[in-house]
Amino acid sequence: MTIERQKLRVAAVGYLNARPLTFGLDREPRVTVEQALPSEVARRIAEDEADVALMPIAAAATIGDLRLVRECAIGARGHVRSVVLASERPLEELEEIALDLSSRTSVALARLIVRRLRGGKEPRWVGRPAAKAIESIGERRGAVVIGDPALTIEGKYRYVVDLAEAWREWTSLPFVFAAWCGREGGLDADDERLLLDAKHRGLEHRDLIADEHAARTGLDATSLRAYLREAIRYELGDEERQGLVRFYDEAARAGILPKVESVRFYDDDRRAPAPRVSIDGLLSRAADGERLSAADGERLLAEGKLFDLGLAADAVRRRKHPNDVVTYIVDRNVNYTNVCITSCRFCAFYRPVGHAEGYVLSREVLTQKLSEVVAAGGVQILLQGGLNPDLRIEWYEDLFRWIKSTFGLGLHALSPEEILFLARLEDLSVRRVLERLHEAGLDSVPGGGAEILVDHVRRKIAKAKCTSEEWLEVMRVAHQMGLRSSCTMMYGTVDVARDRVNHLVKLRDLQDETRGFTAFFCWDFQYEQGTHITPGETGTHLYLRQQAVARLMLDNVDHVGASWVTQGPDVGQIALRFGADDFGSVMFEENVVSSAGTTFCTNAQGMEARIRAAGFKAVRRNVRYDWLGEPG
Amino acid sequence: MSTFDRIAAKVRAGTRLDAEDALALFHEPDVLRVGALANEVRERLHGDRTYFNRNLRIEVTNVCVASCLFCSFAKLEADAPGASTMSLEEAWRELETRMAEPPSEVHIVNGLHPGLPFTYYEELLRGFKRIKPDIHLKCFTAVEIHFFAAHYGMTYLEVLTKLRAAGLDSLPGGGAEIFHPEVRSRISHDKATADEYLEVHRVAHAMGMPTNSTMLYGHIETFDHRVDHLMRLRALQDETGGMQAFIPLAFHPDGNGMKHLPAPTAIDDLRTIAVSRLVLDNVPHIKAYWVSLTPDVAQVALRFGADDIDGTIVHETIYAAAGSRSPSGLSYEELVRLIREAGRTPIERDTLYNVVREHSKSAVPEASLKVRDRRTQRRLEVVS
Repeated sequence: MTIERQKLRVAAVGYLNARPLTFGLDREPRVTVEQALPSEVARRIAEDEADVALMPIAAAATIGDLRLVRECAIGARGHVRSVVLASERPLEELEEIALDLSSRTSVALARLIVRRLRGGKEPRWVGRPAAKAIESIGERRGAVVIGDPALTIEGKYRYVVDLAEAWREWTSLPFVFAAWCGREGGLDADDERLLLDAKHRGLEHRDLIADEHAARTGLDATSLRAYLREAIRYELGDEERQGLVRFYDEAARAGILPKVESVRFYDDDRRAPAPRVSIDGLLSRAADGERLSAADGERLLAEGKLFDLGLAADAVRRRKHPNDVVTYIVDRNVNYTNVCITSCRFCAFYRPVGHAEGYVLSREVLTQKLSEVVAAGGVQILLQGGLNPDLRIEWYEDLFRWIKSTFGLGLHALSPEEILFLARLEDLSVRRVLERLHEAGLDSVPGGGAEILVDHVRRKIAKAKCTSEEWLEVMRVAHQMGLRSSCTMMYGTVDVARDRVNHLVKLRDLQDETRGFTAFFCWDFQYEQGTHITPGETGTHLYLRQQAVARLMLDNVDHVGASWVTQGPDVGQIALRFGADDFGSVMFEENVVSSAGTTFCTNAQGMEARIRAAGFKAVRRNVRYDWLGEPG
Repeated sequence: MSTFDRIAAKVRAGTRLDAEDALALFHEPDVLRVGALANEVRERLHGDRTYFNRNLRIEVTNVCVASCLFCSFAKLEADAPGASTMSLEEAWRELETRMAEPPSEVHIVNGLHPGLPFTYYEELLRGFKRIKPDIHLKCFTAVEIHFFAAHYGMTYLEVLTKLRAAGLDSLPGGGAEIFHPEVRSRISHDKATADEYLEVHRVAHAMGMPTNSTMLYGHIETFDHRVDHLMRLRALQDETGGMQAFIPLAFHPDGNGMKHLPAPTAIDDLRTIAVSRLVLDNVPHIKAYWVSLTPDVAQVALRFGADDIDGTIVHETIYAAAGSRSPSGLSYEELVRLIREAGRTPIERDTLYNVVREHSKSAVPEASLKVRDRRTQRRLEVVS
């Protein structure tokens, strides 16, 4: 008896050079094929929405522990033409190089080659979309150009470094840009045969593919035929594997990619089980600052012992903050409105539009609250609220200007969800909304509402909320404008370890691009009456493990904060020994209006006492994590 | 070799730690290292096994002649506001009403009431045994036994013999506070001294009656005092071997004579559990009493040397009076979940650590568990 298996879910990049590998696959009855951008293709593997993906090999290293299909790849043995560094001056004279950050393999390759050719002297790297990158070429500015645009500019610039050729000259090895990747056990021999058959068909039809592409783009057909026949190589054998191993080693050594233990083909698994690095090995790597893959993070969450995770996270904390200081901030969480249109299943705070308990804080109430903050020596407020369609962008601009001119407080305000809502409400771009708010006084953006940046989780717990990509895009734009932000994770609903690790990797990827995140905080879902979702994996034990793993994964984020507000001051204090260097904010108790000042004093003293009892010095900070005094 | 490494080597070789070592562990800046070492010992002794029981905590009277500074529970006079003493029937009803899911243990701790006849206590015990003949009665701290002896003119042996005849099975560990006279004379000058406390336990052990022991830490005592306390308990245990479990109790400052002091922090709680595990090499069990620690911190303590988390309790009033953030009771399912979340194997035990039910270590599917609301400790039914 045979069991009919589900369809093989195939995702592939849609570029010209990928088409020979996917040729005719969509006509296979037991296959579904979807084409997407490289980052999206990789996401589908990471989030288990595809079984196999033709994806960039840098992304494969970031996901970690994937298997490759032997004999199929997009690579080059020398001159590749479509991945070049173009400039008007010699490489060593360039001060700035622009590149499309979404193409991570090429970015990694470019960085390795440039570092090598310039003897370690790095230029300034700037992320720009392809067209903008090309435009910016001039004087001491170069650009890495990839794909069709690279073919378009052939012969137009004085200096061109073909990156695959440079790799070949350096290592005498082929370079692999993309390959079919999937999870261990995700493909059987029949599946592999399907992909190989597609490749053989595709290679026979290379001229047809080139001609079609020429007709569509206006590029020269002869040149494209040569590109597919000569520049791009579709083999993936032992020599290509060596090239891949070498690339992974160089990139890991440079801190660009997580270390890849071994490059495994699916058929390797049929002969012998994959060797695995020990948990101790992973932890000492992470403690030394090496980058972890998502698979590494997942293993640490599953197998790492509490103390080992804690000690490794503490080692990272000490390396990043050798002074044994733990910071905290004095601020106030002001929820300007509870009217909200999203109705998240986990939220007990919101009231729908028109509800009798809905409110918008008046200037009188705000004056009272903000005066108390100033009186207590507070330096900022955290201003967040529901998505209230009655409040237009002018209302926020007025409010911000008034707060700035009257109280001089820092404005850590409006989570990405609120910014997106305003953009839709006003029919403005996210960038324009942020620009206007920035002009009105916005100082930084809180990282709330991230929950889990994996859409299949978000859809279940917050259907009406923005997608992961939208959330990240708001942060990207904010960071590009020079606004800093925090980032967060709320777990413990329907998420599992893999979702949480994928969340961390998305934050880390964006941080690579922008360096705009100041700090990371996580907490588990706090059940309250009136919400419609039940807790999943929670508990103090998991919180400490989760925070420690976050400290180990987020190698490019400076600060990790303990969320005592959600975990309680006891667990918050313990968390300081599990990788945190910040104790969050001392907040005024809401609704304790008359005695708020006293409440705060006790809190700040108690907070400092807890920090010291955990073996640290304490100091207040502002939203940029500058110290506001001497630690003691 | 650093001091810590030297101590770790001793622990791994099974060599007993001395007072100096114990003090060094209290002063070790990295609490995780101390915890990890205690965890080694804990896992050597018990693996992942983590004990809890179905117990019922009853405080029949809060009237007390002693004036301990740390106490928010006792009322000095029987007619003082808030003073209360249960009638025998009221006390028994506490058990009677819970016979649908009966506890295996009744745990009674009281004030030192000057106006009750000794027969009240004997009758109290007899009544519980009438309701449930196999109930384990863990009642009256050594301080109470000492008070009975003085107040009713008997020796410890006579008091214990009479109470055992009435149904007493073991003694709880309360009343130890801090043994050292520098501290004890200041915080609890008018009740059993350290020697008297230890003598009651000695007599009980000689009768074959097991006991627990405690230490109330985090107020005016120093680390030296804590070490002295542990050393005295270890010496008694070397002599008798009758102590089942040691339970560090965190001082809670609300509403008592030391309310100006801050409560010990969670890091101190974990460190104290860990050092206790390392120093008390002859005591089988170290208990993370969730009422004292809060369930959250108690869960972490299961990785810092503790192998027991106490029981369902049902209705605790002593810590509650001192402003504890803990709920007054936890359900059986909540305890199982708390232990499992720490990656440990929940073992339901009776008072003498016989296994009643061994649960699986791996968490059952979340959806089939009743889960706990962290903030209100309300039990929730999972919908899915």
